[in-house]
Amino acid sequence: MSVAKLLALDKVAKLFNIIKQNGGIRASLYKLYKQEELKDGVLVGEDKFGNKYYENPRYFYSRNRWVEYSEKVHLNYDASQVPAEWYGWLHYKTDLPPHQDPSRPHYKWMAEFTENLSGTTGQYTPYSTTRAKIEPWVPKPKTGA
Amino acid sequence: MSLAKIFSVSTRVRASGACGVLRHAQYSTEGKTEKVYPPNVPGFKYVNGEFQDMSMTEMSNRAAQTLFWTELARGFAVTLAHIFKEPATINYPFEKGPLSPRFRGEHALRRYPSGEERCIACKLCEAICPAQAITIEAEERKDGSRRTTRYDIDMTKCIYCGFCQEACPVDAIVEGPNFEFSTETHEELLYNKEKLLSNGDKWESEIASNIRADHLYR
Amino acid sequence: MLRQPLSRALALTSPTRAAPLAARRFAEQVQARPDNVEVFIDDQPVYVPPGTTVLQAAAQVGVEIPRFCYHERLAVAGNCRMCLVEVEKSPKPVAACAMPVMKGMRVKTNSDLTRKAREGVMEFLLVNHPLDCPICDQGGECDLQDQSMAFGSDKSRFTDIHFSGKRAVEDKDVGPLIKTIMTRCIHCTRCIRFASEVAGVDDFGTTGRGTDMQVGTYVEKMFLSELSGNIIDLCPVGALTSKPYSFAARPWETRRIDSVDVLDPLGSNIVVATRTNEVLRILPRTNEEINEEWLADKSRFACDGLKRQRLVTPMMADSRGNLTPCEWEDAIVAAARALRDCPPDKLVAVSGDLADAESLVALKDLLNKLGSENTCTEQYFPLEGSGIDFRSSYLLNTKIANVEEADFVLLIGTNVRFEAPLLNARIRKAFIHKETDVALVGPKVDLTYDYMHVGDSASIVKDLATGTSAHEVLKRLESAKRPVVILGADQLKTQEGSALLAYTQELALRLQDKLQDKNWKVLNVLQRTASQVAALDIGYKPGVGKVLEAGPKVVYLLGADAGVVTRESLPKDAVVIYQGHHGDVGAQAADIVLPGAAYTEKRATYVNAEGRAQQTLVAVTPPGKAREDWKIIRALSEVVGERLPYDNLDEVRTRMSEISPALVSYGDVQDNNYFAQARALAQSLQKPVSGKLDVQLKTLEDYFMTDSISRASPTMAKCVQAVLKQKQSPY
Repeated sequence: MSVAKLLALDKVAKLFNIIKQNGGIRASLYKLYKQEELKDGVLVGEDKFGNKYYENPRYFYSRNRWVEYSEKVHLNYDASQVPAEWYGWLHYKTDLPPHQDPSRPHYKWMAEFTENLSGTTGQYTPYSTTRAKIEPWVPKPKTGA
Repeated sequence: MSLAKIFSVSTRVRASGACGVLRHAQYSTEGKTEKVYPPNVPGFKYVNGEFQDMSMTEMSNRAAQTLFWTELARGFAVTLAHIFKEPATINYPFEKGPLSPRFRGEHALRRYPSGEERCIACKLCEAICPAQAITIEAEERKDGSRRTTRYDIDMTKCIYCGFCQEACPVDAIVEGPNFEFSTETHEELLYNKEKLLSNGDKWESEIASNIRADHLYR
Repeated sequence: MLRQPLSRALALTSPTRAAPLAARRFAEQVQARPDNVEVFIDDQPVYVPPGTTVLQAAAQVGVEIPRFCYHERLAVAGNCRMCLVEVEKSPKPVAACAMPVMKGMRVKTNSDLTRKAREGVMEFLLVNHPLDCPICDQGGECDLQDQSMAFGSDKSRFTDIHFSGKRAVEDKDVGPLIKTIMTRCIHCTRCIRFASEVAGVDDFGTTGRGTDMQVGTYVEKMFLSELSGNIIDLCPVGALTSKPYSFAARPWETRRIDSVDVLDPLGSNIVVATRTNEVLRILPRTNEEINEEWLADKSRFACDGLKRQRLVTPMMADSRGNLTPCEWEDAIVAAARALRDCPPDKLVAVSGDLADAESLVALKDLLNKLGSENTCTEQYFPLEGSGIDFRSSYLLNTKIANVEEADFVLLIGTNVRFEAPLLNARIRKAFIHKETDVALVGPKVDLTYDYMHVGDSASIVKDLATGTSAHEVLKRLESAKRPVVILGADQLKTQEGSALLAYTQELALRLQDKLQDKNWKVLNVLQRTASQVAALDIGYKPGVGKVLEAGPKVVYLLGADAGVVTRESLPKDAVVIYQGHHGDVGAQAADIVLPGAAYTEKRATYVNAEGRAQQTLVAVTPPGKAREDWKIIRALSEVVGERLPYDNLDEVRTRMSEISPALVSYGDVQDNNYFAQARALAQSLQKPVSGKLDVQLKTLEDYFMTDSISRASPTMAKCVQAVLKQKQSPY
């Protein structure tokens, strides 16, 4: 066991490396404030909403892939902002990120992904998709009188 | 009594600790069984309180540990050590746990590649639904094909058993991977046909890849 | 005369082929029955008459042999081969439906050979049957599905799908009621046999052989029959399904409520299939004494009229005279004020086609309490002579089922085919199976069988009654053992109506007196509507002519939509109260509209044309603010201040039984008497008649829309269009 390791200097070096990767002390502090965690990893990809996906196998399974939500949403990040394409990769269902997976379909009718809009004006409200069962009679207005 | 001894965990405590079973297993490979009470035999773990050594030395050791609050200090030390360790929890929503392709989450109605809705209103899902969460009404569409006019799922009744997708002859109704659809009101969970179809349109990429991942086992 | 279709003539005749009939009291015992033969079905001995088929013998010991083509009310075809069974000492399995039993025959219905034969037949059937059960309307009530589960193989050997594929057949267009998916057809020919035997329309047939065999109409043609819906029930697979009901529901999700049809006077027994408070379809319910297992198209398909043009809220005329929705309180109070302020002799109630006995009783009681006797029905019936005092003068005394036993039927001024399609089916059954002859006085119409047309002049009836006619019909009638005379109630509306009724009574009773069978009744009057008999039983006066001439101030219309009472025929200041379920002629003329319940929405009594009381049951709740009819009248009576003494249905029915016990003896029909008295009273009315008899419903397009429900039905409208279009076609 080397002296550096004994004194946990490699850990310190890692810390500095993480801070460096996250863009300096200020940026690191901001990220820590936003995500409550500071990690280093490889940027695997970025989706069209600006969410960045990272991977670092040094962390144990289920912590080794993560998403950094887009700067646009700032603190209003939500778990449902991960689009369907990246969902499988982030949930360890597949190791292929969507841009490397040729089997994923791209049909023109596929809809734009939206986050869970509950509580906003865009929320889903149920409505009936059928006609009324009974058509009431509407009297003909009397002419003349 | 040395300071090291005060802060170290006694051998006895270690022996009967969480890794006790493991140690017993090690003994058994060596073919040794200790003739002690409680018996230290493989596959056997004594869980009751142990006899305490009542020799003067041991008693004064214990008294000293109590007097100097060493348990407290050791407890703090454990906590302190965990600050530097990697946490065992995941940092949701940034990190997410593993899911199976067979995961049964939010429902969706799928379409054929042409964009035609798959559902043919056979009503098998409605019939099999054990929670009776599905309501279907159907009629003939203008082109003469059999389609639903109403396909409602009460997500608050649904028990996510997946029978509906098993019953579906055309893979129209599926339980998609999404579980992040919690709402602020009850009524938002009364899904209608439009909502289910739009779910399908949103999630098709993931639903298709899940079905593909699982097709060998069906 | 070969009246039977060839298939039937060639098939082995058997005495038990005709459907078992509960009221077969007049059955002839011409030939002594030969000794029964003993056969063994699965080693169980059973004694059956010779000529019985193996399938029928098996049914007697409770062994059901699977079948597709065999149907007990149709001729035997023997072409589906599903009923193959092993018979001991027979080298090959035999078709149970066509094989008559022989003495000592030992039939094995569950042997290895039988099972293998069934499995093989099923496999062949499924080779050319599409696996589209998920989109097939028959799914869940399909004989092929059920029997392939019970008798079919557990696996498929069909691998040809990439080579030549399955057989596919082009669909036929047979009108707006029946949807055909001919690829699903298994060629059982039940529809063909029904069309030619029961419906009497020889349009269906097969073309081609083997794989090329097709069931169809040869040329594209609508199935012009008033009984066409029955082939949907007959079809064991999903080849013929109901067009209005298409894709609407599955059989397992519907609730089925037994009820009674009110769209024709026969009161056919029906099952109303509902889901989520919506009537989805109407199916026949077997009742051997009325409709066997058939149902006429109007009764079956007009149910979508129950969802259109409905009155869902009370309405009152505003200052401009336009009807506007209001609350029950306002409508009831307004109606009560009108009733109370009206002098009793100016107060009139008119009941319509579909009124039930409960509301008729309640309305009559209310008017009587207010001092008025002016309760009448829209349909006229002569009051002279015995009038409506004797039930025998306005009922089908022979009874529907017994018409089958008749050997001569005389129809006077009625087109039975469209006024009571199932009575016509009975006559046709007698015509085909019993050599019964039919004669008609009235306009020449197509009754689906041959008949002697005597003429259309009313004086013919007079000549027949007085025995002065030189026509062959008189001789035939006089020599007949069981003659039946059926008079259409429509003929009685005219000035000569009473004379015509008197002559018909005279004729019928003169024939009846000479009969050996003293229980046989000859005289029949065929009413046109479902409510008329009950209304006459309760004491409504038929016809509105006189009371309208008196210039009524308040007219209470109970579902009166026939257009007899019009605004023009009333004084300007008259108040019209309409209670009913459809916005039709009556509601349009009304000042106050009280929404009632249709026949599927209330438990109500209807008396059919033979005097049989039957009740409908609640299948769905009345829409919107509509309420059961008798309850509306009961509520109104409270506000008027003349409280009716019944608070629930049982009490109403107790009141009904006070008026006539026949109204509440459900399912039962009583024999009518006092024929001689009625005849004596009618003697004085035998005045010369000279008019021509005419019927309202002459051809199929007239049949479909006759009352407020069928007028509101889009399906019935489509039928009329389709029939008119078919008339343009060269075929």
